[in-house]
Amino acid sequence: MAEGTPPRRVVVTGVATRWGGELARALERDPAIEAVIGIDDRPPLVELERTELLDIDIRNPALSRLLPTTCADTVVHCGILWYPEPDKPARTLHDVNVIGTLQLLTACERTRTLRRLVVRGSAAIYGCEPSAPLFFTEELAGTMPLRTRFQRDVAELEGYFETFARRRPEVDCCMLRFQPELGVGLEAPLARYLSLPVVPTQLGFDPRLQPLHPEDATGALVAAVRSRVRGAVNVAPSGAISLSRILRLAGRPSLPLPYPLFAPAFGRLARELGAGPLFADAVRLLRFGRGVSNRRLVEEVGYKPRYDAAAVAADFAEGVRGRGLAAPLDLADLAERAARALR
Amino acid sequence: MSATQESGAGAVAGIAEFLEGLRLGLEAGLDPASAMARAAPALPEHLRDLSERLGEALEVLARRWRGEYREDEWGFDEDFAEAAYPFFELLYEHWFRVEAVGARNVPAHGRALVVANHAGSIFPFDAAMMTVALMKEHPLPRWPRFMLLDWAFELPFVSIAMRRVGAVPADPRNAEALLSRDELVMAFPEGSKGPRKSFAERYRLQRFGRGGFVEVALRTGSPIVPVAVVGAEEIYPKLGELRPLARAVGAPFIPVTPTFPWLGPLGLLPLPARWRIEFCRPLDLSGYTPADADDRALVLDVTERVRDRIQEKIYENLIARGSPFL
Repeated sequence: MAEGTPPRRVVVTGVATRWGGELARALERDPAIEAVIGIDDRPPLVELERTELLDIDIRNPALSRLLPTTCADTVVHCGILWYPEPDKPARTLHDVNVIGTLQLLTACERTRTLRRLVVRGSAAIYGCEPSAPLFFTEELAGTMPLRTRFQRDVAELEGYFETFARRRPEVDCCMLRFQPELGVGLEAPLARYLSLPVVPTQLGFDPRLQPLHPEDATGALVAAVRSRVRGAVNVAPSGAISLSRILRLAGRPSLPLPYPLFAPAFGRLARELGAGPLFADAVRLLRFGRGVSNRRLVEEVGYKPRYDAAAVAADFAEGVRGRGLAAPLDLADLAERAARALR
Repeated sequence: MSATQESGAGAVAGIAEFLEGLRLGLEAGLDPASAMARAAPALPEHLRDLSERLGEALEVLARRWRGEYREDEWGFDEDFAEAAYPFFELLYEHWFRVEAVGARNVPAHGRALVVANHAGSIFPFDAAMMTVALMKEHPLPRWPRFMLLDWAFELPFVSIAMRRVGAVPADPRNAEALLSRDELVMAFPEGSKGPRKSFAERYRLQRFGRGGFVEVALRTGSPIVPVAVVGAEEIYPKLGELRPLARAVGAPFIPVTPTFPWLGPLGLLPLPARWRIEFCRPLDLSGYTPADADDRALVLDVTERVRDRIQEKIYENLIARGSPFL
């Protein structure tokens, strides 16, 4: 494949995840792409027409023999898990993320046809710090302390990725750092958390969040696969929104808890929400928040997110309004009626 | 005297008429809100006025409960800042009796970096008073953003309030991003060294960091507006420090003043010193390019120039102010 030509044979790992499946579906629709090969040890969630499925766990060393036979010019790694999946319990997450990525990169080393590697990583690498820049740029990843298990995992696999990019300069390697997605009916901890009948929050803290719309999550991934951008790229909506405003827009009653109560309560809740090992990350995220700059995504990859942070929240609010427990008193309505009476 | 009596009697009659109207309305089967609206014209003028203002406030509250308010990507919330403003205006006018000169020197549009001396313990009263000065005295006022010590963002409630009035963690990258969006940014390059110095050293400028603010100004092509603040040093005269307590709560320092901690929470009340704030002529850096930000000699030279100008203006304004408390 010459420099700048579009991808022809694409391998998608983690094709059974929502994002891997959607990427495969988007690529299938493009007639210029000869073959889409999906790798996962489970059947995909969405119906795929012409994607060839390889039933193998990416932690399996046999991948090193299998991958070169696909003659892939592009590999997209969507197999990094942020939270447990039905048959991937919390304790295997570290294995899947770190060992899986390591095995995949080893297999990529043996694939001589490879010209493009895209990894769907996480913005969790920046952590959540009260004193941090309010919008992280990509080069700041190494400067922040690694405080949680998931953050260390992401930093470790990014380390393998960088070594690979250095060893194989002819491959354009791109690491995408995604902010958490938020959409109605999305099976993800943040969406489930915000759909709770009463949402526990941390007393005295109101984090700034950058929820990513599912459409933009897929759109940015497809755009990155088609581009030749190298290095890390943040994937986030423009702007940021505070948690309290999301909750008010969605009409969710919140229950502010002081930190000593919040941590144990949230720890129990996190398992229900499916965020087991992300628990420590989530507590910090819901305390200090995190913002990243999406300048590289917009200017270099050329993908402008269609929804900004406030629009994502409004879209989510539209979908969940009226569901679950209603506030015992609609204060806003009461105040408005009193205001009308007084004027 | 008879006029006030008359208006008093009129008000009572008006309220009685209003209640009667309300009762009739309710008996006629109206819901309370419309019955009140119908009876309202009977109320005396000033009560109607008051109820109108209360109504406006309730409408704002209703809007906020629905989440229908604006908040920028830095967390600045104009409604909130406007709600907090009257309190600081009161402090400005009657407690600190601030006299501000040269507010016009602050550019009305586009990016600008306002650099001031820092004093007054761990609460950023100087930033608040500079903001009020700009909002009151400037012909085209706009909300400035200010750089605040990181520690404030670790604290419950404080972090929320500070962010909503326009504070960002003191990091040059935040200043740079704000300036490149043409905001007005206030920085205090002395950092915590300014408020931490003892009362005996008041009005003696401390080291201006490593000149990070000059680098940011050069890189973004922003003019620097030096500001001298006089008065903040006397509001909490610092006699000593509570080191073990500061270490325990992670604070940069906790001062001992003539009133704190002896009087408990009452000791947090700032002394009513008289203030003077002077906004100086902006330092034009448009002759330099962003690449000059890497020129250490230039950065240090500009830093010293800004520092000298502020020190000089502090002495001038100290004389102009006269007695600190009277």
